[in-house]
This record gives sequence, structure tokens and C-alpha cells, in this order.
Amino acid sequence: MAAPAPSAPALRLDGLGKRFGTTDAVVDLSLTVPPGEVFGFLGPNGAGKSTTIRMLLGLLRPTAGAARVFDVPAADVERAHRWLAYVPADVALWPSMTGRECLDLLAGVGPGTDGRYRDELVERFALDPDRRARTYSTGNRQKVALVAAFSTRAPLLVLDEPTSGLDPLMEREFRACIAEAAARGQTVFLSSHQLAEVEAVCSRVGILRSGRLVEVAGLADLRRLHRAEVVVELGTAAPDLQHLADLPAVSDLRWSGPLRLELSLSGPPGAVLRALGDADVAHLEVREPTLEEIFLDYYGQVPA
Amino acid sequence: MTTRTAPDRAPGSTTPPVPPRSAARAATAAALREVRRGTAVLALVCGGMTAMVALQYRGMDGALGAGSLAALAENPAIRTLFGPPAGLDTAGGFTVWRTGTVLAVLVGIWAALTATRLTRGDEEAGRWDLLLSGRLRLGTLVTRVLAVVLCAAALVGAAAGLGLALAGAGVRGSVLFGACLAGTGMVGAALGVVGAQLFGERRSASGLAVAVLLGTLLVRMVADGVPALSWLAWTTPFGLTGRVAPFAADRWPPLLALGLLVAALGALAVVLHAGRDVGRGRWAGRDRRTRPSRLLTSLPGLAVHRVRRPLAGWAAGAVAYFLLIGLLATTMTDFLRDNAAFAELAAQAGFAQLGSVQGYVAALDTLLALALGAFAAGRVAATAADEAAGRLALLYSRPVARARWAAVEAGTTTLAVAVLAVAAGLATWAGAAWVDAGLGPGEALAGALAVLPVALLCLGAAIAALGWAPAAVLPLGVTPAVGGYLLLVFSDTFGWPSAVRALSPFAHLAAVPAEPWHAPGAAGMVAVAAALAALGLAGYARRDVRT
Ligand SMILES: Nc1ncnc2c1ncn2[C@@H]1O[C@H](COP(=O)(O)OP(=O)(O)O)[C@@H](O)[C@H]1O
Ligand SMILES: [Mg+2]
Repeated sequence: MAAPAPSAPALRLDGLGKRFGTTDAVVDLSLTVPPGEVFGFLGPNGAGKSTTIRMLLGLLRPTAGAARVFDVPAADVERAHRWLAYVPADVALWPSMTGRECLDLLAGVGPGTDGRYRDELVERFALDPDRRARTYSTGNRQKVALVAAFSTRAPLLVLDEPTSGLDPLMEREFRACIAEAAARGQTVFLSSHQLAEVEAVCSRVGILRSGRLVEVAGLADLRRLHRAEVVVELGTAAPDLQHLADLPAVSDLRWSGPLRLELSLSGPPGAVLRALGDADVAHLEVREPTLEEIFLDYYGQVPA
Repeated sequence: MTTRTAPDRAPGSTTPPVPPRSAARAATAAALREVRRGTAVLALVCGGMTAMVALQYRGMDGALGAGSLAALAENPAIRTLFGPPAGLDTAGGFTVWRTGTVLAVLVGIWAALTATRLTRGDEEAGRWDLLLSGRLRLGTLVTRVLAVVLCAAALVGAAAGLGLALAGAGVRGSVLFGACLAGTGMVGAALGVVGAQLFGERRSASGLAVAVLLGTLLVRMVADGVPALSWLAWTTPFGLTGRVAPFAADRWPPLLALGLLVAALGALAVVLHAGRDVGRGRWAGRDRRTRPSRLLTSLPGLAVHRVRRPLAGWAAGAVAYFLLIGLLATTMTDFLRDNAAFAELAAQAGFAQLGSVQGYVAALDTLLALALGAFAAGRVAATAADEAAGRLALLYSRPVARARWAAVEAGTTTLAVAVLAVAAGLATWAGAAWVDAGLGPGEALAGALAVLPVALLCLGAAIAALGWAPAAVLPLGVTPAVGGYLLLVFSDTFGWPSAVRALSPFAHLAAVPAEPWHAPGAAGMVAVAAALAALGLAGYARRDVRT
């Protein structure tokens, strides 16, 4: 397989937008994914993840903006798709074809497939490739698409909620495959509404809400950028600390007893530390929020 | 906060579980919703067409020359197609003779396809899982849907009868004709549900239902053509319609037989549902295949793989049909020998060439054009169905441009259509040779191949629809053949302006082998077909892929 331009970003979306009738499925989405990155594309159902992915595959025409894959316009599928592999959210196969025939076909029409790796993947995902597709469960169909995608060793893997039908064992296998792909330098664009999955495999995430990209950050930055949970235990009561609630960085001040308080801190902690300086602090704990909490932060305030 | 659990697009995914009685009612209501538009359209077409033909006939007030009418009606080719004429001297009888068979085939096929769509199609798409996850039983669901489709077919028949009656054709005959048409449609519907119980795929179920229905038309032709076998007419809706002979004999006992046929097939459909799992047919075939097909490694291979089975089925049907037409050629020559007066009449009326075996074959090859056109449109419709079911998403994620795959499919379909034409031509020749009718193999082949441009027009129209109106590929695809055929028939019968007549592709076909091949007409049609296809491919490459 001819290599893509080495300096080009694996994926570049420029002001991408898609409108279905009166619904804005995706609005002004700009994003660059450099080669080698495992990017998590997070969002609840209906956020526009699949729509975005279908645009970058050239299956949908954007109503605004443009998408490029290794600097090739997404609409030029004969070129752009030489360097990518895709796993759709709902995998549909021709019912009378066996899994092996599906794999053969997808390998045959593409630029190249690693047959040995494919056989290994079939084993690892415990797929029976000689059964006809009509006998496959959702998870089995997904396995066919996953095996086909990973075995291409394409520089860019575009995966749309690929584990929704997999059991935990297979999910572990999937994560291992992603890790292997990342180690080989493949780029992964993984859409998901499962935080644990993204947390486990991605180095950077974008959060999509109602078609808008509301945050793009490295996993560590994302946590830091956000509020910290602060727990303070006092040696002696300090009523003055009531004023903490007036500080702009502090929200959600809770007293769980006269000597114990919790607060959410966003932004730099200086003012809070100064306020605590005069008190008799026995124990101070600063905890990063879980991704789940961050996620709820974004979606908790969604307009109806 | 609503978006966190925003409903996905999967229809019905948020429907709460329903108690069984209303579940059955909900199933009926859903089925009604799915058939109402098609039923309304077809009822309008049938009612409108019968009324129009009857009114036109009455308006001409005997100006349809008795001579030319008789020449047409007694022409063996026309007799083979439409059955022996009866009551041509009345508006109703003329209408039944001219439109009856065409409408019956149309309604029967529509009912069969609708039945498989509502049963096997919905089941394939997983829409029944939800209904059946409650306490609704499979048998109840099958029965309900069957009842809905039977009623829809009955309604269409009633509309045709109503059209005739309103045009003043006489109530008794109109009622009988409406009942015959309704019965034929109901036979198609019941066949569709039977097919859906047997096969796990909608296409196979539809194929079986339509093949059996058209097979019964073949049986009627045998019954008409071979006196010793005339009793066979009692086993087919088309033959029974002939026995009823609305506006002539006006018999009602054959209607009872038609009702029994519908009841038997309906009962068979309900019985067959037992002993199969939801989502599967009784004839599931084997679930494993250890040796993968060698074809499935390239786009052309895939296209050939996809067309193989339908082609084999259609070829078997075409060979049977045209073998029979060849075999019946002597009944025609006999008829000509015994009716010197007819030959003279036909010659006077300008149908001289129709009086020969070659003319007979040329006229019946018109039917081949309809079949080839339907096949071509059906293949493109299969591509559209693959797309709508999401089966092309993986293929299109490889370096495969949509227009390339559609072009490969179109090329394969063109070849398949040519194969079908050759098969039909050879079968005609074989049949005619068997009875020494005096038709050469070259003539038979030329006659069959001469209608290819019409099939290509259908292919072009279907591809244009794929690009611009993907929900209507089949109806738009068959329009050049079916619409063109009806247009020609009406233009010729009622002397419509030649500009209108020229819109029909059939106006540009010569009656090969009775007449020499008309190259400019063929070239023009192929050019239009190519333009339509190019337009469609451009649209298909640009538009959104549906899922
Ligand atoms: N073909 C379509 N026609 C109309 N609306 C659509 C279509 N596809 C998606 N939508 C709408 O666009 C929004 C985003 O959908 P989608 O991209 O599937 O979300 P996600 O994959 O994040 O669950 C949803 O509101 C959905 O209803
Ligand atoms: Mg999605």
C-alpha cells in the first residue's frame, strides 16, 4: 500500500456541518487528528457522531465545510479510502454470504490485507467464519467488520461505536487490538458513548453535544481543566470559611459536619488556599473528577 | 436534560411494551399504514383505466371498425396473450378483453410483492422482533397481515369494477369483473404470504410468489391452446376469469372456485407459519459453507454472484414461456389455414404481417420486452435495497466509488438481460421447430434481441431513479416498458395523436422477425438509455447514502 503524505494530518475537519431537513445534526465542526493518535469521539446518542463519521467517509455530503483524510478530500473515496478502514455502528452483511466470504470480498476490493493477521484476529475474536451472515448476532457481525478493518493495517481506523454488541471478553480483545494498532503507529478515530472504553484506549478526546464539538483535550488536560473536588477536614471549627462560597472559583460548598467541608473548585486554587491558610486544616484532599463526572458536566446542562 | 437519553433513530425503540390484545390491533394498524398508499394508487390506476377505456369505447360509437377489431381480436398472438375475446360488442366486454389480463397481472404481482414486503420484509428488518417480544404470537401476526393484504387486493378489484360501472358498462358484468380482479390479487397476496413462510429472504419469497402467479398465466395459455387440457383453466385465476366471461356469459360458479383457491392458499400460509422461527423461513438452507465462493473477491465477481440466482430463475421462466409460445405456433398456423377469411381480413386491416408465424412471434416478443425491463429494473432495485439496508456501507468504505459499483452492476445486468433474450429466442425456436412451424433459429433470436433497447431503457430509467429518487427505483424503472406498452395499446385502439404514440418505446420497434430490424429506432433508444444512466450515476455519486 502506498503510504499517505507523511506530514498530513490523518483527519482534518473544517467547519463541517450537516443539516437534515430542519435538524442540524452537525454544526461547524473543526478538528484535526494527527497521525498516530488514538482519538476518542464522545457523545450521547443522537449527538451526531455517526453523521460526522459518514461525512468523513464520503457517504454523506456535508452541507457546510469539508473533510480531508491525509489531505485527500473525503469525497474522493477512491483515493481517500486507500488509507482507511471503517467499522459502522450497525454492521449489515449480505445474509447468504459467510463471514469468510465477506472478509474475502472486503480484502479483494481494497488495496491490501494482511492474511496472517486476519486469521489470527478471527481466532482472537472467536469468530466462526464459515457460518452464513444471517445466523450472526449483532456482535458477530461487528466482529466481521472489526477483523476486516484491523487486518487491513490501514493508517487510519474509523470506528463507530464498534463494541456496542461485544461481550466483555471481546471488548478486552478489542482494546488490545487498538493498543497494537497504536503501537504500530496507526491512527484511530473511535466514536463511543462509553467513557470507560475511551478512558482505556484514547489519548485525546473530543466531546460532541447536539452536533457541536464542546471540548477537545488530552485525557489528562481534560481532567485538570475541569473542576477538582476538594475535601477539607478541620482541627477546630472555623465559621469564617462560610465565605468560601463567595469565591468565584468555588461552587457547590457542602458542610458534612462542623469540621468537614467539600467544595468543587474550577480554575486556579490560589484564592481558596489563601482562605484556608488561616484555618486549622487537619487534612486536605484534592481529587480529580472521574471522566463520568466531566461527561455529566457537559450533558447535564443540555437544553431540551 | 433530555439529550442524554435522546431516542436513536431506530423506529419504535421507545415504544413501551403493549398488552396482547392491543398488540394485535397495533400490528393490524401498522400493516394498514404500510399498504394504504399503494392500495390507493393502484385502485386509482385500475378504476381510472377501466373507466377510461369503457368511456372511450362508448365515445367512438362503433367507429372501431368491426373488421379491424375482429382482425385484432382473432389474431392468434393476441389470443394467446389476452385469451379468447368475449363480448367485444359491448363497452364492458371490450374493456375486460383489452385491460383484464394486464390489470390482473399488475394487481397480482403488486399484491404478492406487498405481502412479502409486509411479512418477510418487516421480519427481515427485525421489526417483528419487537411486536413478538410481547405476548403476540407469530400465527396471529401472520393472519392479521394476510387479512390486511387480502382486503387491499379486494379493494383494488372493487375499484376496477366501480370504474367500469360508473362508465356505464353494466352493473352485473362490472361486479363480476371486479370480483375476478380482486380474486386474482388475493391469490397473489396469499402466495406472497406463503412464500414468506418458506423463505428467509424477501427476494426469494417474492420470486416464488411472482413465479407461481405468472406460472398460472402460462397454465391458462395451455388451457386455451390445447383443447384436451382446457380443464386446467379451473386451476388458475386467469383461466377462471375467462370462464366467468364478464359482459358475455356472466357466469358466477367459476368465482366460487376462485374463492376456494384464495381460501386454500390463505390456509396454507397460516398453516406453514407453524414450525419455523421468527426471522427464518421453513426452507432455510444450510447455515454453514466451508468453501467460500471464488467469485467474491472483486466487484465484477460480486455482481455476477448477486445476479446468478435471479438470472437462473428468470431464465427458467422465460424458457418455459417461450417454449410454449413456440409450441403453440401451429395452433396458429392451423387457425390461419382454416380461416382464410381471417387472413384476408387481417391483410385488409393492415395487419398482414401479423398473420404469419413471424408476425405471431414478433407480437409475443413484446411480452419479452416487458419481462426484460422488469428484470433490469429489479436488479437496480436490489442495489437500492442493499443500500437502504446498510449492506453497502462496508463496501463503500473501501476504495470503491458508488458510481463504479453501480456501473459494474449495470454492466452485469446488461449482460444478464442479453442472456435472457437469447434464452427466450432459442426456446421459441425450439418450440416452433418441434411442431414444424417454419421459424428459423436466426429469426427467433433476432426477434428476441430486437426488444433489448426497451430493456436498456428500463435499466437507464432505474439507474436515473437510483440517483435521484431511490425510493421509487422499481416503479420508475419499469415505466418505459409497462407504461410504454399501455400507451401504445391505447394509442392504437383509440387513435390518439401520433405525437403521444411516439412517446412509447414500442412505437420505435419493428416487428422483428416479420419486419426488418429498425436500426435508427434502436440507436435512439440506446442513446436515451445511456443518457439516463449517466444522469443517474452522476446523481448517485453526489447524493447521500441512505441507511
Ligand atoms: N438520514 C437522516 N435523516 C434525518 N435525520 C438524521 C439522519 N441521520 C441522522 N439524523 C439525526 O441527526 C442527529 C445525529 O444522529 P447520529 O449522527 O446518528 O448520532 P449519534 O451517532 O451520535 O448517535 C440525530 O438527531 C438524528 O436523528
Ligand atoms: Mg451513531
